[in-house]
Amino acid sequence: MTIATMQGVVKRYGSHVALDYINLNIHEGEIIGLLGPNGAGKTTLIQTLTGITPFERGKIEIFGDSKNPFSNQNKEKMGLVTQEITVLEELTAKENLQFFAGVYGLKGEEKKKRVEEALGFVGLGDKGGKMTTNFSGGMKRRLNIACALTHRPKFLIMDEPTVGIDPQSRNYILEAVKKLRENGTTILYTTHYMEEVQAIATKVVIMDQGQIIKEGTVEELIKTVQHEEKVRIDVTDIERIPVEALEKISGVKKISVSGNQLTIISAFGSGNLDRILTLVKEHAGVLEIQADKPNLEDVFLTLTGKQLRDKEEE
Amino acid sequence: MTIFTFALKRSFSNKTNLLFLTLFPIACIFFPKGEEWPFLPYGYQYFGIIILFIGIRLATIILEDRAKGLVKRLAVAPISHFQYLSQNLLAYSIILIVQCVLVVYGGVLFGQELYQPGWLLLLYISFSFSSLAMALAWISIYRNKDVSFLMYMAIIFIVVMLGGIIIPVEIFPDLLKRLAVIFPTYWLGQGINWVAFGEEILDFLLINGVLWLYTVVFMIIGSIRKIQ
Amino acid sequence: MRILSTVKFTALRMIRNYIVLILLLVVPIILITFFSFILSGYVTDVGIPYINENAMTMVVVFQLFGGSIVMYLIHHDLFAENKMRMYVIPFNQTMYAFSIMLCGAIYSIFLGILLMVYSQFVLSVIWENWIWMTYIISLVAILSIIVCLIFMLSVKNYKIAERLSELYGVGFVVLAGLFFPMPNHAIFEFLGSYGNPVTLAMGAIRDMSISNTSSAWFQANILLVVIIFLFIVMLMVGRRKMG
Repeated sequence: MTIATMQGVVKRYGSHVALDYINLNIHEGEIIGLLGPNGAGKTTLIQTLTGITPFERGKIEIFGDSKNPFSNQNKEKMGLVTQEITVLEELTAKENLQFFAGVYGLKGEEKKKRVEEALGFVGLGDKGGKMTTNFSGGMKRRLNIACALTHRPKFLIMDEPTVGIDPQSRNYILEAVKKLRENGTTILYTTHYMEEVQAIATKVVIMDQGQIIKEGTVEELIKTVQHEEKVRIDVTDIERIPVEALEKISGVKKISVSGNQLTIISAFGSGNLDRILTLVKEHAGVLEIQADKPNLEDVFLTLTGKQLRDKEEE
Repeated sequence: MTIFTFALKRSFSNKTNLLFLTLFPIACIFFPKGEEWPFLPYGYQYFGIIILFIGIRLATIILEDRAKGLVKRLAVAPISHFQYLSQNLLAYSIILIVQCVLVVYGGVLFGQELYQPGWLLLLYISFSFSSLAMALAWISIYRNKDVSFLMYMAIIFIVVMLGGIIIPVEIFPDLLKRLAVIFPTYWLGQGINWVAFGEEILDFLLINGVLWLYTVVFMIIGSIRKIQ
Repeated sequence: MRILSTVKFTALRMIRNYIVLILLLVVPIILITFFSFILSGYVTDVGIPYINENAMTMVVVFQLFGGSIVMYLIHHDLFAENKMRMYVIPFNQTMYAFSIMLCGAIYSIFLGILLMVYSQFVLSVIWENWIWMTYIISLVAILSIIVCLIFMLSVKNYKIAERLSELYGVGFVVLAGLFFPMPNHAIFEFLGSYGNPVTLAMGAIRDMSISNTSSAWFQANILLVVIIFLFIVMLMVGRRKMG
C-alpha cells in the first residue's frame, strides 16, 4: 500500500525554487532516509507533504486521498517529529504527552496507557513528572519524539531528530526508529548524517537543490560508484617502497604518498591486493592496512560533485 | 576600546532601546507643570523613572552576552573581566549623561522652570549612576533577558511609588516615610525638592553622596558575577 | 471536543507563568496596600473614601495588561516555535486560538476578582456591586486581549507587537490623566473620557454605585460595541495572517 505520493510538486520562495518537480512514493513499512545537505529542501518537502506550506504545482496524495490529503482524518494517522524542539516548556513531560494525546482524541484509560507507553518508549519513564525546562537537550529531543507517538501514527515523519545531541541519545533514537518500523509504522527520516541513513533506512532518497537526484537501497546506490577500490597502507620506511613497480601491477590506477602512508586506488574487482602487499612487504615493514569501502558520502560526491557535509562540520 | 565602541553601537541597535533613549527623554521636556506638586514640571519629576528603565535596558546587553556565551569567548581573549565591564559601563554612563544634558538643557531652551538647572543635571547624573549600578546588580542574578526586564519593571513600579516620585512623601504615614528612606528614588525626590527650594549646599551634597553610596554598593554586587 | 482537552493545559501554562502572576497580582496588591496606608481617612467631595476609588482604578488598570499572556501563547503555538507541530495535529487551529483567548480572559478576570477580594477583606474597601464590577472588568479584559491580538496579527515582528501592547496599556493610563493632567484639547478630552477604556470602565462603575444606571449601561455598552467591532477586525486580520 502506498502511504504517500508526491507527483511533480513545485514550491518557490520568490525566485528561489525550493522544490523542483519532486516525485516521491512512500510505501507501507518503509523507512525512507531522505539525505541531503543543508538547504537541499528536505524541510520544505516535509512542510508541503504535511500541508503546512502550500505548493504551486503538482499533486500530493496521503493514504490514497488526493482530493483532501490534509484532512483531519489523514492527520490522525500521521505524526511529525519537528527539527526544532517543539514541546510545551511550561508543562511536565507527562502533561505534554497528555496534551497531544488529548488532541488526537484519546481519552481515559487508553490515554493514560499510551502516555506511559510513549514515555517508556523514549526512555523517559521515570521523568514524567519533571518540568521540561529542566531537561537536557537529549531528553528534550526524546520527549519531542514521544509527543508524536502517543496516537500510534501509521506514518511518521522525522525531520533531523538527532541534531545537536550526544551520541548516546542519538543511538537510542535510531534504535527507537527501528522498533517503530517493527511495530508497523512507515517512517520518512530526513538527515544530513549518512551514518544514520545507512544504519536504519530501507530506501534512501538523495536530495540536493530542491531535486531528488537518486533513490534506491543503500547497496544499490553504493554500487553506482563502486568502480574503484582504495587501500591505505602504513609502512615503516616509505623511501624503500618501489612506487613505479607498484604502478605497473594490473588494475592499479593511482598511487599517492603522504608521510609513511601509501594510498593505492585500483579498479573495482581487480583483486590485486595480494600482489601489492607482497611487493610492499619485500621492501618495508607493514604497520597498518585500511581498505576503504565507498559510502553514501562518496555516492553524493559522485552525483553532485559536492560533499554531503561542510568540511568544518567534520 | 573595542568593547566601548560596540557597546555604544549595540545600545542603539535595538528599536526599543532607541525609543527609550530618544523619544521618551525628549518627551519629558514637554510635559506640563503641576499646580501644587510636583515642584518641577511633571516630565522632570518622572524622568527618574525613565532613567531606571534606560539603566536596565542597557545593562541587559551584558546579560545577553552572558546568556549567549559571548562572555566565555571573551574570557579566553586577552581582555580582563574588569576591562569588559568597565568599557561597557563607560559607554552606558556616557549615554545616560547625554540623556540628562538633553533633558535639562532642552527644558531650559523650551522655557521650563527648573530653578537651578546645573544642580538638577548633577542630581540626574548621580541618579543615573545609581540606576546603572542597580541594574547591574539585578542582572547578576538572572540568565534570561526578558524575565529580568519584566521583574525589574515590577520593582520599578514599587520603588517609584514607595520612594515618593509619584506621590509626595510628605503625605505618607510615618512608617512609610521611614521606609521610603531606603529607596534611591526617595533621595532623587529629595534632590528635586532641594533644586526647587534648597539653600544649604551640604544638604544637596548629602543627597548626592547617598546616591553615590548606592552606586558603589550595587556596583560591587553586580561586578562579582563573571562568566557563569 | 478535542479543543476542550487542551483547555486544562492552557490554564496550567498561564498559572505557571510566575512573571504574569507577579505583574498582574502581586504588584497591584502591593500598590493597593500602599495606597490604602496613604489614603486612609481621606474622602472625596461626595464622601466616598479615596481608597475605594484607588482600588477600583488599580483593578481596572491592570486588566489592560492581561492580553500579554494570550498573545505570547498564541504566537508561540501558532506562529513561531510550535507552529509546525500544531498545524499537523488534527484539530481546528482557529478554535484552539479562541480557546486560549477564553482561558486568558477568565484568568485575567479571576485575578481581578482576587484583587477585589483582597481589597475588601483585608483593606476594608467597599465594592457596591460585585456582579457589575465583574462585568466591567470582563469587558476591559476581553478588549485588551483583542487589542493585543490585533497587534500580533498585523505586525511582522513579535517584539514590536509586544511594545505596542505595552504602549496601549500605559498610553491609556496616561491619557486618563492618572499621572498628570492632559492638555485642554478636544482630542485629549475625548481620549480621556469616551475614547478611553479606563475612564469608560471607571465611569460605568462609579455611575452604577450611585444608581445612575442609564449612564453606567451607556458607558459599558460603548466598551461592548468597541469589543464587537475590534473582534471583527481581529478575525479579518487573523484570516489574512493564517492564510
